Amino acid sequence: MKHPGEGTRVGGSLAVSCYRVSFSYPGSEQPALSDVSFELRPGEYVGVVGPNGGGKSTLVRLLNGLLKPDSGRVLVSGRDPSTEPFEVRKHLGILFQDPENGLVAPFVEDDVAFGLENLGVPRQEMRDRVARAIRAVGLEGYERREPGTLSGGEKQRVALAGLLAVEPEILVLDEPTSMLDASGRREVLEYLETLRAEKTVLHVTHHLEELVRSDRILVLNGGELVADKTPERLLSDADLLRENRLVLPVVQRLALELGLPPAKLRTPEELAEAILARTESGTRAG
Amino acid sequence: MRLELRDVRYVYAPGTPFEVEALRGVSLVVEPGEVLGIVGGTGSGKSTLVQHMNLLLTPTSGEVLVDGVDATTLKKSELRRRVGLVFQFPESALFAATVEEDVAFAPRQLALDEKEVRERVLESLRVLGAGELAARSPFALSGGEKRRAAIAGVLAMRPEILVLDEPTAGLDPATREDFLALILGLRNAGISVVLVSHDLDEVAEVADRVCALQEGRVLAVGTPAEVFYRDPSQAPATVRVASLLRESKPEIGAPVPFGETLDALRALRGA
Repeated sequence: MKHPGEGTRVGGSLAVSCYRVSFSYPGSEQPALSDVSFELRPGEYVGVVGPNGGGKSTLVRLLNGLLKPDSGRVLVSGRDPSTEPFEVRKHLGILFQDPENGLVAPFVEDDVAFGLENLGVPRQEMRDRVARAIRAVGLEGYERREPGTLSGGEKQRVALAGLLAVEPEILVLDEPTSMLDASGRREVLEYLETLRAEKTVLHVTHHLEELVRSDRILVLNGGELVADKTPERLLSDADLLRENRLVLPVVQRLALELGLPPAKLRTPEELAEAILARTESGTRAG
Repeated sequence: MRLELRDVRYVYAPGTPFEVEALRGVSLVVEPGEVLGIVGGTGSGKSTLVQHMNLLLTPTSGEVLVDGVDATTLKKSELRRRVGLVFQFPESALFAATVEEDVAFAPRQLALDEKEVRERVLESLRVLGAGELAARSPFALSGGEKRRAAIAGVLAMRPEILVLDEPTAGLDPATREDFLALILGLRNAGISVVLVSHDLDEVAEVADRVCALQEGRVLAVGTPAEVFYRDPSQAPATVRVASLLRESKPEIGAPVPFGETLDALRALRGA
């Protein structure tokens, strides 16, 4: 088997590859990331979880060249973000936690266009891309609204549209719902769901329930990649969850306690249905 | 103490084009020794409401009463000692070289002797499970530890009501669970806690009563079951599961916390 990172040097068919990446912040004794290797194939939806201080934010910053690894190498669409950060940012967009920080322009459409203005995209194409991006996040009719008047969920969708307008193949979502209320969260997750298969997505979150449909979940703890598993395997591995300060979402915890398969029952509706089916069959009572 | 808000209205920037009525007549009581959860979407008025609890904001109209006495007649410094307010992301205000110095900052304004200040600081840190942090630099702590240090600073004032605005935002799930245990510990120590949170699952675990706000009005207030079963689409996951089963299995009742819900679901299986 080839090492991750190997056959990706020229052009490469991988979306992202990290090969033995280590990084320490100046003055810190503990490395923030140590010897981390993984790959994202085009079209994959991969989650990243782990405790505060586990290395999640550091990883995100290495991917767009804000930080440079001490050793090992990061490739994004075959390019090294530490030497070609501007090129990499055309291929990889990051949606950050707090939508307030990202919105800069007086109107929604200007904000969505902002990232394009530095890319030398012709005027007409810019208009088309902005319109498409606004449509993709369901904000038609909001073009002339002021970002300040929008709800948290709407603001985060504007930020997402701004990323989509640049048309990166890879999206990194850095706790995109943590500042939102329950309805804003549902709203943003719904639009992220529509991007599956079209984009390669790396989704960093504290909420495992947001990742039950992902292809794989990476667990970072103490700077090390301690697991790279399917949601089914991770959600049913109680020891691994506990060791990494992960808590099963309420629906999955109820399912597990009732002896139902936690990874198959994603929503309250699915769990309720499974419970009903079982009580009605009456064969496994008790 | 018993804190009461009576028909409180609050208007931001009155008389300007930016005028916004953030609270439109809110009446609410914080009873002694309870955990009161305040829930509601972004912009529903949660943060505006809690800033009235120690008169950081003065109502445009309406009253705030402390044990039946008009709060505006009380000394503000005393009111703010008795009603401690912890803002969102309070760790951004940490500033001193050690946690102990940081926590001591507020009680030092109370003209206590140094020994008393130190006792209060260590006690507050201990109550928050952060006793071992006293000598450390607040900047070298984890997210959860920083937040404990910041809350300890308010707790060292020995408030009767502690208002926590989104205390678990941005913390990892296990740290969040630790914080919920702390909230129950504070209540058991006789402190009323007002918990503002958009995480309904966590409110379900600790609240004695819940107030749901919408567009500056009280949509519902009561026990968690009364409030959450009114509209299960805006309820914690436990309530959403149970309410879906209630139609065909009414015996499930109205459980809210995880443990109660699990017991009710297990009882169904045996039926």
